[in-house]
Amino acid sequence: MKNAKIIFLIVISLFTLLLVSCIPGSAQPIGGWSGATVHDNTIYIGSRDGRVVAINASTEVIQWSYHITEPSDGIGCGPAVVSAAIFTTPIVDGDFVYIGTYSGKVLALNTTARSQNLNLPAEPQDRYHEWETPIGTDARNTAIVADLVISGDVLYVSGSDGRVYSLRKDFGDQVKKSGILDERHSKLWTSPVIEDDTLYVSTFDGNIYALSAETLELLEWSFKLEAGFASSPVICENTDTMFLGSFDRHLYAVKIGSDVLEWRFPEEPAGNWFWASPVVNEGIVYAGCLDGKLYAIEADTSREIWSYPTEDQNGKPSPIVSSPVLMGNLLIVVNESGTVYVFDLDGELANEGVPWWTTSIGAGVRSSFCAQEGLVYIRGEDNQLYIVDIGNRQVSQPIPLTAEA
Amino acid sequence: MSFVEFWHLIIGNPILNVLIVLSHVLFGQFGLAIIALTIIVRLVSWPLNKRQLKSTKAMQDMQPKLQELQKKYGKNKQKLQQEMMKLYKEAGVNPLGCLWPMLIQFPIWIALYQAIMNALATTPEHLLNLAHRLYSWEMVSQAIPLNSQFLGLDLGQTALQAGVRGLLLAIIVGGTMWIQQKMTQAPSVDPRQESTQRMMTMMMPLMFGFFTLMFPSGLALYWAVSNIIGIVTQYFATGGWGYLRLRSPFSQH
Repeated sequence: MKNAKIIFLIVISLFTLLLVSCIPGSAQPIGGWSGATVHDNTIYIGSRDGRVVAINASTEVIQWSYHITEPSDGIGCGPAVVSAAIFTTPIVDGDFVYIGTYSGKVLALNTTARSQNLNLPAEPQDRYHEWETPIGTDARNTAIVADLVISGDVLYVSGSDGRVYSLRKDFGDQVKKSGILDERHSKLWTSPVIEDDTLYVSTFDGNIYALSAETLELLEWSFKLEAGFASSPVICENTDTMFLGSFDRHLYAVKIGSDVLEWRFPEEPAGNWFWASPVVNEGIVYAGCLDGKLYAIEADTSREIWSYPTEDQNGKPSPIVSSPVLMGNLLIVVNESGTVYVFDLDGELANEGVPWWTTSIGAGVRSSFCAQEGLVYIRGEDNQLYIVDIGNRQVSQPIPLTAEA
Repeated sequence: MSFVEFWHLIIGNPILNVLIVLSHVLFGQFGLAIIALTIIVRLVSWPLNKRQLKSTKAMQDMQPKLQELQKKYGKNKQKLQQEMMKLYKEAGVNPLGCLWPMLIQFPIWIALYQAIMNALATTPEHLLNLAHRLYSWEMVSQAIPLNSQFLGLDLGQTALQAGVRGLLLAIIVGGTMWIQQKMTQAPSVDPRQESTQRMMTMMMPLMFGFFTLMFPSGLALYWAVSNIIGIVTQYFATGGWGYLRLRSPFSQH
């Protein structure tokens, strides 16, 4: 009988080990959802295995890639060094591509030097003004999840310590850091938006703060909501109104400088969170929801013009994680199952919410995507880049992002 | 419907959502929610626990007789086993009686463990995945994302990252687990079993102390609370410290 008890204890121990071990530090994500950006005929993208990859948009050949690594904080059945998780979409400014990592580093990589395959010195600071800067002392507290923002000579970064940092974009030196904007969660996973030298930041504890872009000090105006904000704000410049999604399953419109809420949509909560930032075009807000629906809402009145339920390959609702993108008169939406919907906003069906064309890339999508000159660039969760040609209505052969340049 | 979906529907999601509601009700303190839910689960599973404790108590009461048998038939293993079984039968005690209630409760503890890990949503992916597991209750919406700070600890971070407080938590988890095990484990009448048992009694607390250092503190808090409740119920149900103060018959030699 004692044996049975001991065997039972051993089984429990092994089961517990199985349950919890070999998980690479449960607080350490794998992959991330970095998106694609196109600049000067080159596609820049963060891969799921921690690489910044540059692809020639014409030839679809990888020009170069840079592998970002970090020490593992796993339990010990994995390697000591692992690929960095990248959640931010690269941004290009001048000769540099900038990216932030979950290990709390911001990197500036010289696109010219790398595309010309120049012999790059080992140390980042010697590589043609390339730099690599941790935004805080503890990488775990300063994980970068939200997209970086550039304005003038300054790069703005949201840290998981609840602060916004400003860095000099030429050398990466820290210029300023804000106070902790979200004491309760100590996380800032939303990007700031800039308008007229002011930074607007939404937080998980339901605040919108206005900060001086120069000093990162809080300005007088702020806005408070009961529920937390899930998405980064989007500002409609004509009306000084910002639109942003919340964890309470509503989309909110807030007038900058006003203490009164403009509106919230819908009346009754939607099927899930408004996780992705909406886009605004000619007085209409297009918002994707995790309930799988795309909503078209009048920006002034919050009246629903139409809603379209997106689906996966089995006809089930599929969440919209990535923000919709506008390309001319076309609105492009990609849901989590990889189904691409193209809405013609000037076409006959514009007011009816019927897509003009639909296709599937055959891979899951959580990353932001970009569209340029009739092509949509989407990174799949399978770590491949898909290019959707809207004019020719076809999806190109996917480009694997794991291959070395 | 896959097994995972079924699991979430029946047990995983209800526990997760209740945990989040508790966090909202208890002043946005996720740590208090973990403590409260652990207590609730213990109360709900009390009938099973009671049976388990009763069985343990009966085993405890039989110890003098078992030791007598050990002295009498120590050299004849087969006879000893036979006499022990006879004794169990006469006393109406099933030696495995204390194991079945534990087995039945196991899925609940796994669901609770998963709920804590999911609710903490330590990474962006976890947070996004959480969206599909939540009910459309207003209290749930208002509680998300959860405040992971509790008594100076970030429940989403490992105890190792928390410094001295984390180390203290690891000691509490290991220590309480050791006490609970010592209270419930009857000294074996077989010297070899006794040695294995002693090793297990040391190994489990050490292992969980180590897990505490490596995993989110929220989970460690749950282990600590669960152990403390176990000790308290064990104390009152069996009327004392059980085998904690009882010496092994072999330690005398």
